Order: sequence, then C-alpha cells, then structure tokens
Amino acid sequence: MLLGALAIFVAACGSTPTHHKAKASPTPTPVSTGNPSSAVTLNEAGSSLLYPYLQVLAPAFNSAYSNITLAAQPGGSGLGINDAIGKLVQMGGSDAYLSDALATANPALLNIPIAISAQAVNYNVPGGPDFIKLSGGVIAQMYEGKITNWNDPKIAALNPGVSLPSLAVVPVRRLDSSGDTFIFTSYLTATNSAWSNGPNEGTTVTWPAVSNELTANGNPGMIQVCHNTPGCIAYIGVSVENTAIETGLQEAMIGNKSGKFLTPNQSDVTAAVAAAAGSTPSDLRQSLIFASGANSYPIVNYEYLMVQEQQPDPNTAQAIRTFLSWAISPTGGATSGNLSAVNFVALPTSVIPKVTAAIAKITG
Amino acid sequence: MIGAGHGAGGTAGPEVPRAIRRRLADQDLTTRDRVVRGIFLVAALVPAAMLLFLAAEMVDQAIPALIYSGPRFFTGQIFTFGNLYATTESHHNGITAPLHAQYGALPFIFGTVASSLMALVIAVPVSVGAMLALTERVPWRLQSGLSIFVEILAGIPSVAYGFWGILFFGPFLAHDIYPSLAHVLGFIPFFRSPVGAGEGLLTTALVLAVMIVPIIAATTRELMRTVPVLAKEGALALGMTQYETAKVVTLPYVRRGIMAAAVLGWARALGETMAVLMISGDLVNRFPANIYGPFSTIAATIVNLLDSALTDATGTGIHALAALGCVLLLITVATNLLGRFIIRRATGGRVLPIGRGI
Repeated sequence: MLLGALAIFVAACGSTPTHHKAKASPTPTPVSTGNPSSAVTLNEAGSSLLYPYLQVLAPAFNSAYSNITLAAQPGGSGLGINDAIGKLVQMGGSDAYLSDALATANPALLNIPIAISAQAVNYNVPGGPDFIKLSGGVIAQMYEGKITNWNDPKIAALNPGVSLPSLAVVPVRRLDSSGDTFIFTSYLTATNSAWSNGPNEGTTVTWPAVSNELTANGNPGMIQVCHNTPGCIAYIGVSVENTAIETGLQEAMIGNKSGKFLTPNQSDVTAAVAAAAGSTPSDLRQSLIFASGANSYPIVNYEYLMVQEQQPDPNTAQAIRTFLSWAISPTGGATSGNLSAVNFVALPTSVIPKVTAAIAKITG
Repeated sequence: MIGAGHGAGGTAGPEVPRAIRRRLADQDLTTRDRVVRGIFLVAALVPAAMLLFLAAEMVDQAIPALIYSGPRFFTGQIFTFGNLYATTESHHNGITAPLHAQYGALPFIFGTVASSLMALVIAVPVSVGAMLALTERVPWRLQSGLSIFVEILAGIPSVAYGFWGILFFGPFLAHDIYPSLAHVLGFIPFFRSPVGAGEGLLTTALVLAVMIVPIIAATTRELMRTVPVLAKEGALALGMTQYETAKVVTLPYVRRGIMAAAVLGWARALGETMAVLMISGDLVNRFPANIYGPFSTIAATIVNLLDSALTDATGTGIHALAALGCVLLLITVATNLLGRFIIRRATGGRVLPIGRGI
C-alpha cells in the first residue's frame, strides 16, 4: 500500500524525494505548485490568533488560484493540532509548535510557519495611563497572586512618576488549549525563575490558584472579559490588538532581555526575529521568545500550519503546496499590506529555504 | 385478571389460562412471525445494551485517571492537565501523566449540583403557579391555545437560550437587577457585590429555570387535569374560595407527581451543556466568589477542556475527562431513578404523561 503510494508519487512528480542529508545543501528544493485540475477546498481550523490573517489571505489566494478555496475556522491552537493529527482538516493553525511528545508520536506532521506574530499584554485600569511598563517578573507575580493591586510598589518602581489607582488585579487567562498561552507562559518562564519552576510553559499549564482570576475562550473572549472587568490584565494576540485598543483596553510596554520596555510594533518584532530565527532547526520547531537585542520585542512567535506529509490525493497535496508557497512569498500572500492588516511580519529570508523544504515533503 | 391480557394483545373472549394461550400462540406462528418476533426482541434490547455499553466504555476510560488521583478526584479543587511541553512526567499509583497534572473535580461537581438545584427552586413554583392558573382560572377555550406556548418553549434549542442569555439576559441582570439584589440581600455574604458582568451562577440558574419550566409545567398540567372534578366542586360547594380549593384539594392530589416532574426537570438541568457553556463564565479551580460569580459545570468543562486533553500525549487527560463524564452519568442516572421511584409511589403504577412536550 505504502510502496504503491510512493510509486504513484514518483510517477506524478517526476522527481525522487530527497533524503534528510540533502536538505543541508543551500540549493532551494523545487516545489511543484499551480492551480489544480479540479476544485479543492482546503479546510483549516485552529489558532484564533492566526485566523484573522487567513481571513485576509483567503480572497486574494482564491483570485490567484481559482480552483482552490481556503476555508478557515477559529477554535484555538489545541483544536488546530488535534484536527491536523486526526486528519479532520488539511491544515491545523497553531501559534505553538508540537511538543516533543506529540512530535515523536506524529513524525509525519509538519510544522510550517507562514508568518511571524507577537503578543500584547493589555490591561483595563479606568483612569489609568494608556501605557505602563511591566516586566516578565512582575507579570508573573500578578498571575501568581503575589501582586494583587495595581498600586503595588513593584509596579510603581517600573513606572516612576505614573500614578496608578488602588484597584484589585484580575489576571485573565485562556481556558481553551491555546498557542497564546504557550507563548505567554514561555515569556514568563524565560523571565521568572519561580514561574519556570512552577507552571512553566505550554498550551495549557497548571495556573497558580488566584482568588479573583478569570478565564476566557479565544482571543475575542479575552478582549470581552477584560473589557468587562476593571483591574484585568490579559495576554492578547496582535492580530486582534486593534480591536482590543478600540474597546478601550490599554497596552503594556513589556520588558525585553536588554531591560528595554516595548510595545509590539512591527520594527521591534522584526528585530526580535532577526536575532532569534538564525537557529531555527529543519523541523522548524523554534521559540522566538525573549530574544536578545536592544530593540527586540520579547513575545514573538512563528504562526504555524500543521500539515500531514501524506495527503489522500495529488490534487489536495498540490493545493496545499501551492497555498503554503504562495503564503510565504512576498509576491504572493506575504505582502506588507496583508501582514500589517493583522500586525504580523514576514518570515525572515534565512528560514524561507527550510520552510520550502518542508512544503516539498507534502505529497499525495 | 381482565387487565392481564391487554398487554399481549389478547382478544376479548372466554378466559383461557395464560400458559395454554401462550402455547397455542406459539404453534400458530409462521416463520415470518418468528423472524418479526426476533427483530422486535433485538429492538427491545438495543436501548438497554446501549446504556450498558456507554457506561462500560466511560468507566473503562475513566479508570486510569481515577487511579492516578485516588479520592482526591472527588475532593480536589485543582483540575489541570499539567505541563504538556515538559521533558519529564508525573507518575502516581503506576499511572503516567504530564508533569504536575492534577485532576480534582469538586468545583465542577458543586457547580453542576448548585446551578441545577437553584434552577429547580425557581422553576417549580413558577410552573405550578402558572399551570394552576391555566387549568383553574383561564377559560376552557383559551387553555389549549396558551398550552401551546409551553410546548414551544420546550422545543427551543439550548444554544438559542445560551445566545439570549449572553447577549441580552445576562447584561440586563447585571446592570438592572443584581445591583439592587446585592443592596437588599447584602447582609447575606454570598449575595454581596461585586455583581460581575452577567456571566455566572445566578444567571445560569435563571436560564436553566426557563429551560426546565416547560418540562415541569407540561407534566403538572396533565396531572391537574386528573384531579376529580367532584372533589373540587365539593370543596367549592362547602364555600371554599378557589385559592382554598387549590390548596386543600388540587395541590395535595398532585403533590407527588409534581415532585417527580421536578426531578425530571432537574435531570435536564444537570446535563445541560451548551447554554451553561455560554453563560457560566467558565471558572476552573475555584468555587464561585458569590452567587453572581463565574463558575463551571461538569458538562461545560468537558467541552471546554477537550482540545487540551487531546493534545496530552500521555492520554491521561482524556481519561480524566471520561472520569468527569462518569460522575455526571452517575448523578443523572441517580436523579432519573429517584424520579421514577416517586412516580411509582405517586400513581400506583399508572402511566402518567411525564415529559410530554419535550
């Protein structure tokens, strides 16, 4: 059965699959793309942070390749990973790469980054300043219940001259399995040893029990709960950051490795990627959190589409290869207009060959 | 003796002993009859087999998580799948789970029982009062017209209730009702503010109450129609007011039946998932801070945490959700049996139109 599928693949593509050693060579892997001969619908489900970007890409992609329709559904990165493993969708959206355990259990599931995202930390302090500085250590203590009031001296020490009211801190966190939780807890793990030894990082973690914590589902849920709750602090993906600001949430400036406090603007996110992306391995599972560099924004991540190497038929495989190749190309989907619509930035040119090599593995 | 033959479809005629009649019937059967009888036998066994299969599968799935947590599954407050990205794992009682995984179901068990009982306390007086008015006071011609609304209410999908709850009813309660309630009942600690944004225990209980009113009301209405007219007329002839007649004759007559209907409504509220998912506020690892505060139930939690559990490569997370499902199954089966027991005692085995309109 497997041999047969391989034979069909060889006949269909006219090229033998390259083995792993060959990937190290700098010559770009040829990827067979193009409008498939019959209509294909690519179903995507997962990350609510990636979802707005796919909504931006879908119509442009369909006008470039009329036989491929991209149908995206939000639902959380955990859903994206599960649906991709279960082959319920062709592509599972996730802000988190596969854990070691899941990667070992699913060796044929590819982690394909298509863009760079970042995460903002928002708060709702009525009458408070529009921007305050928060370090990873302070945020961790707010989520641990050690800092319970916005007028805490530890917050004041980071914000000299800023007056913050006496208001209880309400940490808000995702309840669903979330890539946002993964990158947020990765930042706390990198910046706070108590957090590193305690909850650590993951798409779902053992959150410290805080008496007035709240939970929410999806990025829209985070915005809604935080909007309804004075005193809240919440982590929200940049793709919906415009909505968060419009509903009246304030945005924190987050401490980076050099001790500078930044908001997730595109140049600081790009700086972080430039510093961290060089060490991206060929399986593309790489954290970009807390990168070095004076202007590197600290909570930055790859936006992944999880795709099975083996697709049921050549048409589907070609449609997926075509979409992914188009999505990472500056002349395709990765235009500055598309990316800035959701505050994303393009993949660095240094990782593009590795991504292309991964896309070339998709066969049907 | 006369009643004994009805169920077997016996014809009215000279009485033949049951055993003989049965043998005669067996001899008369053609092959086709026997095949049909076999099909009916299988069809009759399917529901029982399905329940047993479902329960067995759930328990089988639940066992690893129950072994891992031990009695703490029922007494623990923290429910977490642990660190799925860690390189080491937790081992407990021979079961492997992600690092720091803990499965404590107490807040969910509390939320499930508390929200459904509160809904019941609200729904029973409303249903009984409404149906008393409908059967005793409303002109006969209007009765069936008004009754239709009860049936329609029962047919509304729960997602519609949830949508209404989160978009309109919850915010309305939080802005216009709860502040006054907190002010008036503030001397009771559990009723003190903050009243939140309308997602929480009391809002959920109120929406659940609306959802189970039709179940209790439809049953109550049918029960009230079984009250002997002579007894009621006798009471009125003795000079009692309509209120006194209802209190002395009608309500005592249907009391047990209403209890049974209430238990069936309770079972519905216990298992309600979608509406609760939308308006509970999804609080985990803690009990609600006050009656307005966010909470969660077993059913809603299973939906909420399914994706997290599926990304648990050790598989123990799924077992923990199955264990939650078992607890819910146990609670609902227990309430259902309780309801049936009360109906038996109330009616002496007569079949009541329980659940009509559902």
